[in-house]
Amino acid sequence: MERHWEIVSTWVLILAATIAAWSLGAATLPVPDYFLPPPSAVLSAFVELIAKGMLPIFVAESLRRIVLAALLGLFVGVPIGLLLGVSRVTADFAYPVLNFFQSVSGIAWLPLMLIWFGFGERTILVAVNYTVLFPVIFNALLGIRSVPQIYVNALRTLGASRWRIVRDVLLPGALPNIAMGVRLGLAYGWRALIAAEMLVGANGLGFMIFNAQTFHLTARIMLGMGIIGALWVVLDYFLLRPLEEATIARWGMVQR
Amino acid sequence: MMHGWRGDLLAVGRGAAPFALILIAWALVTRANVLPAMFLPPPADVARTGWDMLKDGSLWTNIGASVGRVLVSLVISVPLAVGLGIFVGLRRRLSPVFEPIAGFFNSLSGIAWLPLAVTWFGLGWVSVIFIMFNTIFFLVFYNTLVGVRSVPRIFEHAVRTLGGSRRHIIFQVLIPGAMPNIVTGIRMSIGFGWRALIAAEMIATSTGLGFLIYNASNFHQTDTILVGIVTIGILWLLTDRLVLQPIERWTVERWGLVSSSR
Repeated sequence: MERHWEIVSTWVLILAATIAAWSLGAATLPVPDYFLPPPSAVLSAFVELIAKGMLPIFVAESLRRIVLAALLGLFVGVPIGLLLGVSRVTADFAYPVLNFFQSVSGIAWLPLMLIWFGFGERTILVAVNYTVLFPVIFNALLGIRSVPQIYVNALRTLGASRWRIVRDVLLPGALPNIAMGVRLGLAYGWRALIAAEMLVGANGLGFMIFNAQTFHLTARIMLGMGIIGALWVVLDYFLLRPLEEATIARWGMVQR
Repeated sequence: MMHGWRGDLLAVGRGAAPFALILIAWALVTRANVLPAMFLPPPADVARTGWDMLKDGSLWTNIGASVGRVLVSLVISVPLAVGLGIFVGLRRRLSPVFEPIAGFFNSLSGIAWLPLAVTWFGLGWVSVIFIMFNTIFFLVFYNTLVGVRSVPRIFEHAVRTLGGSRRHIIFQVLIPGAMPNIVTGIRMSIGFGWRALIAAEMIATSTGLGFLIYNASNFHQTDTILVGIVTIGILWLLTDRLVLQPIERWTVERWGLVSSSR
């Protein structure tokens, strides 16, 4: 408990020192105001954007898009990966293709999508869902294929049906990979979302910070960056990482 | 297991077959004239555009710019991140303080730095390198830190009871023990770095593969975009096969540790 307080008090100290140095730098450095706005400007940008109602809308828009992509990944991507992985033939066939498509980020497809779907919501959604979906499918397939054949053989010699093997061996064995794929896919997806919102320029947090740059509203950029980072921390630490650790601990895939 | 050139040939064939199928489907769709060529040009057109760009050197220039940026950022960020990660990781009072801070900047990695980068450095190389540095540095720093911290204390005690000095502990226990994490960090940083690079090049520069495809989009040159996308995919597969997989295999063999998939 004592150590805990020590860490927290060190944080407070670091935070206070950073804010002090930042304020001092903003006040004394011979640079234009927009170059380094003081922390107080970031705070007042926060208050202003809340009062105008823009910030809640932008946050809600970005969150809506990433949650949609997460749901699609979980309920469409994972089953597709599992189905492809169950059969050796389809797995061998799909592996190189999936590997290629998961390695080309959704943002690289964005120029093509702009031509296909125009500057709008549809392009953002396709880019983000693409970015999430492929790592999820790929890792689900990889998870199934990485289950040692010996487990499958063991159950088969005991007379298990194909369905039993899928349910009791392949699916549990693939879970750590699935959890990892979902986490990685969403991490890529969140960044692709920010980039897509910048380039398509409709709304959302990416649009907010990009648009602020054109008007030299640097305090607004910093505020947006803080929110983008904080949202991901919340998503990752409280949702994705517990999910991954639960599957890893549950099926004992890590030797530590 | 089949070995030798026949096995290799079979493996290549098996890997290429799905792509051949996609190519055929693509050719058939464009042949059927259901889509205007601006939406999806036939594969032959894309191949011709790619060949022209290879011959006039424009593709090489852009590949060079992108790969050069990745290399420069890696050379600047990785040694700094590994060094600082080990330095902080060794300090038991500092490391729990810095771990969440690094975690936060990790979650900010990539393109979110772009508006600030452009404000500070304008459009060009420096902005892109700044974005890449922030992406790579914090990922490698964080993983190194976690790696050093996750080495079981018992190994350290064992070396110490055998009379090992602090130097022994650092170089023969902590750094080797953290190696798989460091490699995972570098591997992830290249993945996130490449993606950030493509997005950053679209906005902040006038060279590189990201710029190539984004600029082509403004002129509705779909064939150029597809050449760019395929090039990006091939470059990534090459990086993975020639750089990342050998490094990972080497650490796994050298330290007999299974790379945890983090």
